[in-house]
Amino acid sequence: MSKLSERVAGFCEKHPVLYKCVLLGENAFKKPVFRCQDCGQCVLSHNAFTCCMRCPKQIRNGPCGGTRPDGRCEVYPERACVWWLIYERAKKLDRVHKLKIYHIPVDRRLEHTSAWMNMFAGRILPIELGKKSRDVELTPKDPPPVK
Amino acid sequence: MSASNLQLLLEQGQFVVCGEMSPPQGADKAPILKKCGYFRDVVDAVNLTDNQTAIVRMSSVMSSVFALEGGVEPIMQMTCRDRNRLAQQSDLLGANAAGVKNVLCLTGDYMNFGNHPGAKGVFDLDAVQLIRTVADMNEGKFMSGDEVKPPTGMFIGGAANPFAEPFDLRIIRLGKKIAAGAHFIQTQPVFDFPRFEKWMAAVRDEGYDEQAFILAGVMPVRSVRALIHMRDNVPGSCIADEYIKRMESVADSKEESAAMGVAMAVETIKRLREIPGVKGVHIMPVMWESITPKLVEESGLLPRPKPEPCHSEPVEESLSGAQAQ
Repeated sequence: MSKLSERVAGFCEKHPVLYKCVLLGENAFKKPVFRCQDCGQCVLSHNAFTCCMRCPKQIRNGPCGGTRPDGRCEVYPERACVWWLIYERAKKLDRVHKLKIYHIPVDRRLEHTSAWMNMFAGRILPIELGKKSRDVELTPKDPPPVK
Repeated sequence: MSASNLQLLLEQGQFVVCGEMSPPQGADKAPILKKCGYFRDVVDAVNLTDNQTAIVRMSSVMSSVFALEGGVEPIMQMTCRDRNRLAQQSDLLGANAAGVKNVLCLTGDYMNFGNHPGAKGVFDLDAVQLIRTVADMNEGKFMSGDEVKPPTGMFIGGAANPFAEPFDLRIIRLGKKIAAGAHFIQTQPVFDFPRFEKWMAAVRDEGYDEQAFILAGVMPVRSVRALIHMRDNVPGSCIADEYIKRMESVADSKEESAAMGVAMAVETIKRLREIPGVKGVHIMPVMWESITPKLVEESGLLPRPKPEPCHSEPVEESLSGAQAQ
């Protein structure tokens, strides 16, 4: 991320009221549209705009072995398997290649913070393919000062 | 640290046989030592399950240590359901120090399948991330980046289910597991050959059978009830009608059912050996461990070979060539 975006994020985070407003706006959009689970480190763009944190096991690199033949979840048979949805949508949107990306473990400190500001501040680490991601620093910078 | 028996055999091109046992639901190691008797010199390594189907049992770490005592090489299963990343890494250190050299990384069954449905699920990491964590620890790095001194020497396994949907995404995920550092892959039990062959063909197309050792699952069943239960209640399993019909035909007699179950499993093992890319079988005799010697013998896989002691290089060096591709 550029210096400018980092400065924007820095400014927002210094002003709790402003930060709260950004967070409210983000949630007002992402919660109804994507059923966002507030992990604070969004991977929607990699997962065909379907939130993988809706999976009961919160698998970032899914799916688990229990998807039913008709695409329902093994834990809650009345729901669709989120990873099945992701795959179906990725096929339609021509984004299957993006599913090959390895996602690093969730930084739990970022939960319930603004993913947009975290992205601007460079807190969401690059997720790279295969072997390379072993070189990625797994513990990013400090979490945002406000929650 | 020297390489595990399982790793050496696989690298020397032997067709391996793994077993599986579930730890006891009590504070006594005797059941493990007894079950070790069924597996010793009959299989090359045995999976010790980690609270499978979310039912509380003795920890897989301690059970693996007792299996070593019983003269059997353990494959410690480790799920992400019960431990966060700190506990997982510390258990890996302890197990490796005690002589456990194989680990199978799984996400884990959800709590509502077991006897503590109200438990909090941890799922801090997923199976792919856990595989990467172990691979990093083999290279001397904790997840934090701190040094592991000395590094672990684990032979890392992952699981794959060829029978669940969506098919293509499962191949992608298998690729992720191998890229993350899995050395061997165990599959769900095969009861549907056309599907398994289709999956193996896709695996070979991607070249994954060259980058990791694929061990196909085999499950001997004692009764038609067990098969029907699996078909109806175990999500992600796929059982061809042929097997159910054959078990039904002998459903009246316990002995005949057991004999048919063994015959079917032997047949499955023989057919799996013919499939290119399958490097071994993983026998899962759920609650029927005592049948393993008979099953392995009738499949013509006895006596088990001993690995040639010529080289014992650490895990990360011996497989880095395969991963780099």
